[in-house]
Amino acid sequence: MNIIVCIKQVPDPEGPQECFLIKPETMRVEPRGIPPVLSLFDENALEAALRIKDVYKDEVKITVVSIGKKISNAVLQKALAVGADELVKVEGETFDSACLDSFATATAIVASIRKLGAYDLILAGRQSADCNAGQVGIFLAGLLGIPAVTLARKVVVQGAHVVVERLLSSGYEKVRTLLPAVVIVSNEAGEMRYPTMIQRMEAKKKPVKTWDAQDIGFEGATLNRLVLRRFFAPEMRQGQCRLIDGETLAEAGRNLAQRLRRDGVI
Amino acid sequence: MNRDSAVLVFLELGSDNAVLPVSLECITAGRKLADALQGWLFGLIMGSSVGGAADHARHCGLDRLYTLDCPLLGVYHPETYCPAFLRACDETNPHFILMGDTLASADLAPRAAFALDTGLITDCVGFEADRSGVCFIKPVYSSNVMAAYTMKTKPYLVTIRSGTEDPAQRQHDKGAEVVALAVEIGESTLMVEVLERVLDEQEGPRLTSSSIIVSGGRGVGGPEGFAVLRELARVLNAAVGASRPPVDLGWVPPKAQVGQTGEKVGPSVYVAIGISGATQHLAGMSASRTIVAINKDPAANIFKVADYGVVGNQEQVVPAFTEVLKEILP
Ligand SMILES: Cc1cc2nc3c(=O)[nH]c(=O)nc-3n(C[C@H](O)[C@H](O)[C@H](O)COP(=O)(O)OP(=O)(O)OC[C@H]3O[C@@H](n4cnc5c(N)ncnc54)[C@H](O)[C@@H]3O)c2cc1C
Repeated sequence: MNIIVCIKQVPDPEGPQECFLIKPETMRVEPRGIPPVLSLFDENALEAALRIKDVYKDEVKITVVSIGKKISNAVLQKALAVGADELVKVEGETFDSACLDSFATATAIVASIRKLGAYDLILAGRQSADCNAGQVGIFLAGLLGIPAVTLARKVVVQGAHVVVERLLSSGYEKVRTLLPAVVIVSNEAGEMRYPTMIQRMEAKKKPVKTWDAQDIGFEGATLNRLVLRRFFAPEMRQGQCRLIDGETLAEAGRNLAQRLRRDGVI
Repeated sequence: MNRDSAVLVFLELGSDNAVLPVSLECITAGRKLADALQGWLFGLIMGSSVGGAADHARHCGLDRLYTLDCPLLGVYHPETYCPAFLRACDETNPHFILMGDTLASADLAPRAAFALDTGLITDCVGFEADRSGVCFIKPVYSSNVMAAYTMKTKPYLVTIRSGTEDPAQRQHDKGAEVVALAVEIGESTLMVEVLERVLDEQEGPRLTSSSIIVSGGRGVGGPEGFAVLRELARVLNAAVGASRPPVDLGWVPPKAQVGQTGEKVGPSVYVAIGISGATQHLAGMSASRTIVAINKDPAANIFKVADYGVVGNQEQVVPAFTEVLKEILP
């Protein structure tokens, strides 16, 4: 069984605001002083793949596909260390995430998947931690003409089917579809496991392919449907915080209640 | 009016079969857009037994309301909803399509964009219209940066974050014309089969409809801490929310999560207890009218957005706060 997991490298989304420098001339956001990391939901997608491999062991081959302007081996090696079998990096200026919308990105991923050949299950995160568009997974399925199941919190392979627990606003539903399929994973699927020291060492020996736009026959940004006009800094909500205190913290709590009542807040 | 520039608003129904508040916000946004373009504003309701919802929505400032009423549309399934939705797009030929940013639209909107060969801008918090066209504004990079996008393709498909606009109010007017569309959808051809649905027991008010929310973060310390918060919520008739760590740690169910990847809420009062105020959390609650923060760290980011605050250990503050509220609230 061939599982493909799509992973994006992003600037650490938990970095402080001043680390995201806006460059109006180039219409880019340049991260400063924060390391690139695997996008959070893509880690969840990889974990979902690993849990399938835990069951089927060597019958499963997990290939990680990552597309971007410059992909760090050190960052992506983490995916190999936790148990992916192979890494495919598709790199180059053409793949700068600021220049490609979700449709163009999905087209590039599909070209890479086609070049890889066989696939049974494709996993992707529900949205990237930088642009949060939340579309690539469904576009992959659309372009490949296979079913897509979104918002997965659990993914199990049963024979020729994949069975997915899918989040609802008031619970979840269990759905089943034939492979091949795309499953789009949410954080409820579980955090990615930690690699051991030995796994980290072994990861360095795992196969890595590096392709460029020509290798996959990718046209580039002409496929875009969205046009980025500009980036700008958000206006932060500025509450004038009235700090309430008291002799003791309990009194501060009591004073808070009185004050909120007096000001007509509650 | 220029029929070429119709705005179509998808009005999603909640489990009570009423139009979601975020969809009513989309009507407000749609009205502004339609006025700027001098075009029509259409609504679309899909579901089963939608009469009550339609009756409400037709008085909310639409020019026309389309309904697709069919038992198979009673619950969301992409393979029934997407074709039905496309049928309505075909009928109305919209220039812009707006929907709330919800779990259902996270599935429906990209499918519709793909089928319509058009682009999609998700989770927008506003738009700008000028002579060169319309730009939609969306937070990116953990809400540290805003991006303005426009589109090369038509229709523009856009999802809107709740709290962006005021929900459209019911007016005392004769109401928009309602047009019932017919669709043929079969269940036999579904590629994705639903085996079972497991719905949580809902205790207390819901996050998305409650006017007060009591929300806890990692600083609440554990499930016992949340029991104390639930008592506070009971006194305030509030819903209980959480930041992501309590969800990841299993202290509260996933649906309690507020933030960029959880619910986006805009209650009149949001009480944040033991929450640091990370941008991803603020993304879900900064539209609240009044924010009250209880946090032991005076430098916590939450105090930058809060209107009222107590600096201190919540374990000591919250029980006393609750006791007094019990006495003074009617
Ligand atoms: C892509 C992405 C999406 C995300 N989506 C979301 C989301 O939807 N929602 C969300 O909330 N987060 C989200 N996060 C996580 C977010 O970045 C933060 O990690 C998270 O919000 C922090 O939660 P917290 O404030 O509860 O915990 P912490 O940041 O650990 O803060 C705990 C706070 O509690 C205070 N505290 C501790 N003990 C006490 C006490 N006894 N009394 C009073 N105060 C105390 C501390 O001073 C601190 O300020 C996302 C992250 C990423 C990368």
